Amino acid sequence: MSETFKLPPLEIEEYSLDNGLKVVLNPDHSVPVVSIAVYYNVGSRNEREDRTGFAHLFEHMMFQGSENVPKAGHFQHIMKAGGTMNGTTSSERTNYFETLPANQLPLGLWLESDRMRSLAVTQENLDNQREAVKEEKRLRYDNQPYGQIFDLINEMIYKNFSNSHSTIGSMEHLDDATVEDVQEFFRIYYAPNNAVLVLSGSFDTHGAKDLIETYFGDIESQPLPPSLDVSEPVEVAANYKEWEDKLAPFPAFLIGWKIPPRRSDEFYALYLAGKVLYEGESSRLYQKLVKGEESVIQLFGFTDERRGPSSIFIGAIPKPEKDLSRIRETIMQEIHDLAAHGPTAEEMEKIENQLINDSVRMRQSSMNRAQQIAEFALYDGDPQLINGELEVLLAVTAEQIRHAVGTFLNTENRALLDVVPAGKG
Amino acid sequence: MTPELRKNPPAPLERVPFDIPKPFETQLDNGLKVVIIEDERLPLVSFRLAFHAGDAHDPIEWTGMTSAMSSMLTEGTEIYSSLQLAEKIERLGSSISASTSGDFTVVAASALSLYSTEILHLLAEVVLRPTFPENELDLYRRNTIENLKFQRSQPGFLAGEQSARLIYGDHPYSKVSPKAADIEKIDRETLASFHAATLIPNNAMFIVVGDVKSDELLTELNELFGEWQPGKVISHKFADPPSRASRTLTIVDRPGSAQSNIVLANLGVKRIDPDYFPMIVMNQILGAGASSRIFMNLREEKGYTYGAYTRLDTKKLAGDFEATAEVRTAVTGDSLKEFFYELDRIRDEKVSDDELQDAKNFLTGVFPLRAETQEGLTNLIVNQQLYGLPDDYLQTYRDNVEAVTVDDVQRIANKRVRPAEMAIVIVGDAEEVLPQANLYADSIEIFDTDGDAQDQEKYNRAESEMTADVAGKWKLVIDFQGQQLPVSLTLDQDGAVITGVLETMLGNGKIANGVVSGTKLSATANAEMQGQVVDFAIAGKVDGESMSGTITAPIVPDPLPFTGSRS
Repeated sequence: MSETFKLPPLEIEEYSLDNGLKVVLNPDHSVPVVSIAVYYNVGSRNEREDRTGFAHLFEHMMFQGSENVPKAGHFQHIMKAGGTMNGTTSSERTNYFETLPANQLPLGLWLESDRMRSLAVTQENLDNQREAVKEEKRLRYDNQPYGQIFDLINEMIYKNFSNSHSTIGSMEHLDDATVEDVQEFFRIYYAPNNAVLVLSGSFDTHGAKDLIETYFGDIESQPLPPSLDVSEPVEVAANYKEWEDKLAPFPAFLIGWKIPPRRSDEFYALYLAGKVLYEGESSRLYQKLVKGEESVIQLFGFTDERRGPSSIFIGAIPKPEKDLSRIRETIMQEIHDLAAHGPTAEEMEKIENQLINDSVRMRQSSMNRAQQIAEFALYDGDPQLINGELEVLLAVTAEQIRHAVGTFLNTENRALLDVVPAGKG
Repeated sequence: MTPELRKNPPAPLERVPFDIPKPFETQLDNGLKVVIIEDERLPLVSFRLAFHAGDAHDPIEWTGMTSAMSSMLTEGTEIYSSLQLAEKIERLGSSISASTSGDFTVVAASALSLYSTEILHLLAEVVLRPTFPENELDLYRRNTIENLKFQRSQPGFLAGEQSARLIYGDHPYSKVSPKAADIEKIDRETLASFHAATLIPNNAMFIVVGDVKSDELLTELNELFGEWQPGKVISHKFADPPSRASRTLTIVDRPGSAQSNIVLANLGVKRIDPDYFPMIVMNQILGAGASSRIFMNLREEKGYTYGAYTRLDTKKLAGDFEATAEVRTAVTGDSLKEFFYELDRIRDEKVSDDELQDAKNFLTGVFPLRAETQEGLTNLIVNQQLYGLPDDYLQTYRDNVEAVTVDDVQRIANKRVRPAEMAIVIVGDAEEVLPQANLYADSIEIFDTDGDAQDQEKYNRAESEMTADVAGKWKLVIDFQGQQLPVSLTLDQDGAVITGVLETMLGNGKIANGVVSGTKLSATANAEMQGQVVDFAIAGKVDGESMSGTITAPIVPDPLPFTGSRS
């Protein structure tokens, strides 16, 4: 299968402006739509210990207006043009993106350049967005059953503060932040030489280059941000924690392992091991626990992909009266088996087809293409990697998966978070 | 670029036309309608086998039957077990899933187009020959019942359940979820006969979008589905949704909730209503997006919430209009005020030409974005077909949106946004919510999260009860890790303010920050104990001559429970 299936490569052109802004163009004319992605090389990993939540607060500030765009005008301009947009923050980066009808490319570039050049960091905007962030925290974390477990387990997995603290951060730190703090953060991290701009979709390459030079060319570059150490010891910071959750109707648990960085051979192998263990109804753990033992209501797993030490999680919400430790034994038993024998030939065939299917589907959307290209450009300095990633993944062998599971998952070096319902039921 | 040139947004480039192709349509001899769009952009294919039979068509006394039937399709067939199906489907890197909505059941499959034949065979197998194995059905019943319990911990579900009940009354759209007892009684025989009667070709359509050749595909469809026998299409007669005469408040009490989930709802329009286009334009201006009036007011100006929106649900036979937000508990009342301000304003005042044009630009602009992926294009075709929209619906969408006028918007707002008759549903801490929200409604009802009605008196903080009498000397016993520690609390009361002293074996503390609210009191006590100053926080509830509550101290990790009585 993999020998016969070749995806035509995406057309990719990369260059830099004089101010250091890295630009990647991916023209594709199948639908008259264009996506713009601006990735800033700043995430929660860059935050000071007394200023957590800053990267994410900034994502909010970026919608509060700039020299020529009024407060909340960004939304308005994009929506009037028939576009969609958003921004997100992770440990690794803060991204901003919009998808527009193809003829509205100049508008998107104007908006992104105006806030990169001249964000309005005022006391009023800061106060207002602090409140919005607090509300977001209440909504997404405090008021949701199990809403805080991923933040908690990161603190158990990672020892290095850059890696372990949450993206939403501390509300006290946000309250302590002054306008000067925020202005300084903007100057350092939101400089053109700390960002990547990607265009994907229907546009004329020459016209796009002219527009990009016009809008972004004269934004001043800044000295590089302070260097960052995200290194980690091999051991997790804590093996066990019990968490009382007032809103949880059932007990639950989450197991997390510390694993090598994204794009390492081991990370790829563990990403595929995850597919074997928990992805889809034919996966091993679904068949053992949801079917088979019929012991869990919900089973989930995923990898958290980072430039530094990364992680993989498996979690479950067991049925009432079920023995949690027994479920965990089953999970570890399957991991043990995978470490001993590796995936079967049938599982390898499934992985191949899923990888091909996923990568074809990903290519349909200009926004997905722009985002993946931006990650390779920002993290690895090479957007062309998007054209080789499927091949790299397809080349991972069953033996590599077996070995990586044996080394990184089949070990006592893992974090277990037990969620105990503490509400009135 | 000069600062001057940056002042104004740049003009758009020339518009690139975008036309959605019209599908090829035909019918098999057994009545199965077939709709095909050849989409060669990438080597993918999407199939939808859709039936005009949804949750609303559950047989009387069998709520949840349609959903159970569709969920069980992939759990075993005449030749494959549940596990074999999962393995076969996933080994192709593809997916098959069945889902139901109020109006329809849709079995969806997608795959790389080189596996088109294999996935079609599996699709035919699960739709035509499911066997509903007893053990899988048993698991379905138990898991579904657990999920129903889990749903009740989700504030969004609780709000939706109440608003659907209030808006749709005896119409089956009122049921957003079956009850545990409904699920328990679903048995294999009933499922099998329901399946045979419901999944019939003459009440279905087969929609294909992808890298396929129509003639080859039709041959395959005839081979796989040609022998499928037509059945009798049952016609249903449903009760009309109730007409509402006043504004009501329904609270679902979720004690300790950090937020209030607010839903304001009234009846709207069905999908094929002639007012559909004015309705979506009005909704866009009012609250559909992050640049709409309600979001700009409640989030951007007031900072009450992370998001506030209005939403149209347009089903086949009826629809509803809803305004929603999750706000922090303390601004529940203020949020209602702003909601009703905006709902009145869109009725009373004409929208500006600019607002109208912005909303239209959005609706027409996002249209090609929705068709960018094959799944997106497929969903557009599926909706056009299932709701029976005109053949040129997708081609004329743009013109229909552009035709809406300022007067259309005001007319439809007055007709379909009905603040005086709205159902207000709030999921939150009833004791906190009630005094903030009761001014906004003509009548009030309160439920717990199980859906059981509660006595409103329980939550009222009427003036007369505002401050319980707590003055006097209280003998209390603290439970400290199983040890019973006696303390006494002597209180003086002046209205809601209390002062006094806390006496313990280790030392005495003066009461500060003491207040009574209803039957609850809270205070701090600053005590010197063995040379150290310790802050205690006291939270108590008075019931006549007895009191219970907790005392918290920094030296012990958890609050210590106490009980006692007035001496």
